[in-house]
Amino acid sequence: MMWLSGGFLFRSSSSYYHRLDPRVKLLISILMFVCALLARYIYELVLVMAFMAGVAVTAKVLARVGRTMFLTATFSAVIFVVNFLVTRNLVSSELYAVRFVAIVVSTSLFFITASPDELEQVMKTFRMPRDVVFAFVTAVRFIPVMMLDTFQIMDAQKSRGLEMQKGNVFLRLKNMIPVLIPLVVNAVVRSGELAEAMESRAYGAVPKPTSLVRYKARGVDKAVAVAAVALFALTAYSFYVVLPPLFL
Amino acid sequence: MTSILEIESFGFRYANAPRNAVADFSLEVTEGSILVLAGPSGCGKSTLLRAVNGLIPHMYNGDYSGDVKVAGRSVKGSEMRELAQTVGFLFQNPENQIFMFSVERDVAFGLENLGVPHDEIRSRVDEAMELLGIASLAKRAPHELSDGQKQRVALAGVLAMRPKLVILDEPTSLLDPRTAKELVELVARLRKELGTTFLIVEHRLELLVEVADKMVVMSGGRKVLDGSPQEVLMGDLAEGYGVAVPAVTKLQKMLAGDGLVRGDRMMTGTELAKTISQAGH
Repeated sequence: MMWLSGGFLFRSSSSYYHRLDPRVKLLISILMFVCALLARYIYELVLVMAFMAGVAVTAKVLARVGRTMFLTATFSAVIFVVNFLVTRNLVSSELYAVRFVAIVVSTSLFFITASPDELEQVMKTFRMPRDVVFAFVTAVRFIPVMMLDTFQIMDAQKSRGLEMQKGNVFLRLKNMIPVLIPLVVNAVVRSGELAEAMESRAYGAVPKPTSLVRYKARGVDKAVAVAAVALFALTAYSFYVVLPPLFL
Repeated sequence: MTSILEIESFGFRYANAPRNAVADFSLEVTEGSILVLAGPSGCGKSTLLRAVNGLIPHMYNGDYSGDVKVAGRSVKGSEMRELAQTVGFLFQNPENQIFMFSVERDVAFGLENLGVPHDEIRSRVDEAMELLGIASLAKRAPHELSDGQKQRVALAGVLAMRPKLVILDEPTSLLDPRTAKELVELVARLRKELGTTFLIVEHRLELLVEVADKMVVMSGGRKVLDGSPQEVLMGDLAEGYGVAVPAVTKLQKMLAGDGLVRGDRMMTGTELAKTISQAGH
């Protein structure tokens, strides 16, 4: 959970990177992701990750990305061991393990710098169905509400004698049930009320709803996008044509 | 005076329910008035409200009888999207009617759904936020708001659609006394400034007696009392139907019974206090 909230949840910031058009941020993350897949040698991956660190510094999220990297590395260790046991190839196992960290970091960089509003905008850009976009929006919108619900239910059940911090793993899981059931019931009731409120505010009245906010790519967004693509082309070219194979 | 809402012997039984939630209910509401609907829980108030804004029969199945007309058009024969522009519905829990990540985007939600052009959305959203005094909260996220603020945001989203009739379902149930009073003052102001009609379900009647034009009491799915707040609350029947008659009115009735104060006109707390203190001298 810590890993998820630290590495993937948006926190507002006024860094240059945060202010970029969300589509450009997505483009950069995708290109970094592809670079991580393209890299054939460890030192190439290290170059890609150094670039990611540069992006993280620009976005003022280096500490958070560092933590994500560290936590991902534990998963990575498992990948490395399994891979090595199966293939007996140290270099390729290393590559897989580091690559895993790189792709998680590239994805995480997008999610921690794009606000929910921007995610919605990106989804709209890809012409995803309105219902899907709206389901995403409400899901994110209600995360804090559901968390509050959870704490309230936990308090209520604890005050009636539920002991959540005692016993072994199985007992603790079993003790979650009195919290989960009211939580689910709450959520179902809430969704019914939401549906009524949506209908009352003309949800689905026209096939193409309009929007209060308009995202417009500024000159700087376009410039960054062009630079990113150029840098990507250069990197791919160097990886395959220029740089020598160094087995580290 | 034209009527905005006409209900003619309306009845509804939810699918699989043993009996009618509302039966043989008739009512006429004039444009620009404030009507208060009271009655114990489960008396059919919510069903009636849903029938006015079209959730019944468009979202709920069941046996529908009689007719409900809003602004001269039958609810049954209109689509939800048309109704959404005539009837605004403020639900009891504001949390569950705020959908978007920021206040201004949520206020815009209904207008976006209707396909209103961008520039017009902007001006109508600003106008609605200004009207409810929440312009300074425009960029806030819903979880950063107090209950009273959430309620205003939800109401702004309803008003941005410029409905002629606004339904408020127990609007003060989550509010502290002061915020509740502010809400009632706001309703009175909106009625005056915009000519909006309000249909309010409320238990805390002492807040509304001064602004309401009409009061209807329901019990067991039927209309049992209908009149001005004075007629309903000064009468002998209201309490028997579980209506919370304001303490001031109860006191006035007791004193009037002993011939100490007048019993023909309902007094406010201040008026009653003045009369008592004058009598004491």
